[in-house]
Amino acid sequence: MPTGMWRRSCNFRLAADGLGDYLIEMLTVSHVSKRFGRGDKPAALDDLSFTVNKGEIFGLLGHNGAGKSTALGIMLGMVYPDEGEVSIGGVSVQKQRERAMRKTGAIFEAPNFYDYLSGWRNLQVLTAFSGGVAKREMEEMVEWVGLEDRIQDKVNTYSHGMRQRLALAQALLPRPEMLLLDEPTDGLDPDGIVEFRKHLFALRNDFGVTILLNSHLLSEVEKTCDRIVILRKGHKVYEGNCRGLEQERDNYHFEVDSWQALAGVVEKCGGRTRKDERIVEWSCEEDIAILVSALVEAGVKVRQVTKLEASLEDLYMKVRGEKEGGT
Amino acid sequence: MMEFFRLLKWELFRMYARPRTYIGFAVFLAVEGLVLFLLSRPRVQGALQNWIEKVAGGFDQYFSGLTLGFILVGGTVFLLGAPFLSLVCGDIVAKESEDGNLRLLLARPVSRLKLLMVKYVSCQIYALSLFLFISSSALAVGIIERGWGGGYVVMTPEMPRVSIFEWGQGVGRFYLMPLFLVVSYLPLTSFAFMLSCMRIKPAAATIITLAVVMADFVLANFPLFPLFKEYRDWFVTPRMQMWVYSQYQDIPWPRVIENWAWLIGIGLTGFVLGWMSFERRDIKS
Repeated sequence: MPTGMWRRSCNFRLAADGLGDYLIEMLTVSHVSKRFGRGDKPAALDDLSFTVNKGEIFGLLGHNGAGKSTALGIMLGMVYPDEGEVSIGGVSVQKQRERAMRKTGAIFEAPNFYDYLSGWRNLQVLTAFSGGVAKREMEEMVEWVGLEDRIQDKVNTYSHGMRQRLALAQALLPRPEMLLLDEPTDGLDPDGIVEFRKHLFALRNDFGVTILLNSHLLSEVEKTCDRIVILRKGHKVYEGNCRGLEQERDNYHFEVDSWQALAGVVEKCGGRTRKDERIVEWSCEEDIAILVSALVEAGVKVRQVTKLEASLEDLYMKVRGEKEGGT
Repeated sequence: MMEFFRLLKWELFRMYARPRTYIGFAVFLAVEGLVLFLLSRPRVQGALQNWIEKVAGGFDQYFSGLTLGFILVGGTVFLLGAPFLSLVCGDIVAKESEDGNLRLLLARPVSRLKLLMVKYVSCQIYALSLFLFISSSALAVGIIERGWGGGYVVMTPEMPRVSIFEWGQGVGRFYLMPLFLVVSYLPLTSFAFMLSCMRIKPAAATIITLAVVMADFVLANFPLFPLFKEYRDWFVTPRMQMWVYSQYQDIPWPRVIENWAWLIGIGLTGFVLGWMSFERRDIKS
C-alpha cells in the first residue's frame, strides 16, 4: 500500500502552487467544442461545461460516439478544442499542458504497453516521462495493485485484468491528484470489476484522489460515481447525481387481475400507467395507499405492489427520450 | 538537458530491447555472407586480382581484410541500407500511434517536441550503430578470410582515382565510413521520420520513403534521362553518395562540408515538417 507520503505530497504541491486546500474545483471544463473534419459534420462536442470537485468520483456517461473519448482527449491535451478550455488543479491544459499533466494520471481503454518488456520495465519507461520515480515507491505501488509476483514477467504474458492493474499502477506513478479513466472496466471479468472499483474507492477515500470515469456501463457508473454528466451526440443532456434531480413521480409495479380496470382508476386519481411494463407512475407527494384503496373499492384485485427505486438506467433513458423528443 | 538524456536512455533501451530491431543486423550479416560467396567465385576472383594488380601491385598484399571489408560494406549498404533505415525510422512514431502507446506517453508531462527530438536522435543513433555493426562485421569477415594486415585499396565509380593506404591508416579511413554514412542517410531517415509523424500507417511511411528515394536515384542516374544530368545537384541521392569521400586518398573537405550542409539541411527540414504535422494532430484512439 502506498504510504501516507502521498497525501502529504499532494497537499504540499497544491500549497506550492498557491492553491492550498481552498481549491474546490479540481477539473473545470469550460464551453468546450470540437468538430472533426469539415464544417458540415456534426460536432463531436458542443459547448460542454462541467466541474469536478476535489475528492469526487465523477462519471462521464454516454453511448458510443457520444463524445466521451474526445472530451477525455481534450482534458489530456491530446485533442485540441475548437473553443473552450480545460483546467486541472487551476492549470490550463491548453496553455500549460506539461504543468497540468504533472497532477494527472490516465488509463485508456484496452491498455497497451510495450509487450516485449516486463511490467517493471514498462513502469520505468513511462515514469521516466514524469521525471522518474524512486524504486521503493514503484515497489509499493506494484504491491498495492497486486502485481508483485508477475511484475518481472513480460507484458505479453499478462491477462487483461493484469494489464489493467499495470495501467492503474502507471497512472498512479508519481502520485497524481487527478485520475482520468477511459472505459477502465471494459473487458474485465466480474472479479476484476469489483477489485478495480475497490481500488478507486481506496484512492478517493484514503488518498483524496479526484477521479473522472468515462464509461458507457450504466451499472458501473451507478455503483462508483458521486455525480455524472450524460452526453448525447456531443451535447450535455444531464449533470447531477445518479438518481436524477427532482423526481416528481415514483414508479410502482402492480400485479392485478385487470390492467384495463386499473388504468381507468389510476387515470381518475391523477396517475399514469405504462401498460407494457405493468408500472404505475404516482405522485411522490401522495401515499400509494390512496390508490390501492381506490382500486379495491373499484373491485380490482390487487395481488402485489412493489415500489421501484429509480435507477441510472431510468434516468439515462429519460434524458435520452427527452433529448430525442426535443430534436 | 538531463531530462532529455534520461528520456533518450529509455527510448534506446526500448528500441534495443525489441527483437525486430535485430532482424536488420541479422539480415546484414546474411547478405555479407552472400557477397563473400559471390566474391569467391573463380571468375570474380580473377577479375578482382587483375584489377588490384593493375592499380596497386601485389594482389596478396592489397586484397586484405580491409579491402574485402570495404567491398562487403559497399554491397550490403547499397542493397539494404535504405530499406532497413526507412523501416526503423518510419516505425518510430507511427507504430507507437498504431499500438496505442503514444497516448500513454503523451498523458505524461512531456511536450510533443521533446518526445519527437528524443525519437529523432534515437533514429540517428540506431543508424550509427547499424553502420558500425556492418563495418565491424565486414572487417571481421575480411580478416578471417584474408588475415591481419596488408594494404587497403579502394575504388568506386564516384572516385576520380584509386586510394591506397597502409594497414594502420586504412583502419582509420575504414572507420570514418560509418560516420559519413550516418550523415549521408540523414535525408532518408528524416523523410521516413517525417512521414511517421503524420497520421499514417508505419508500413506506408516505409514504402513511400523507399519509393521517393528510388525515384530520385533513377532520375539522377538512369541513362534514359540524360537531360537530367545537368540538374544532378538538384537530386538528393547523388549527395547521399558523399560517404565515399571518406575513402578518397585526400578527403575533399570543401565538398564534404558543402554536401553535409545540404544533407543536414534536408534532414532538419524533414524533422521540422514532421514536428509541425505532429504538433497539429489530434491524438485519438
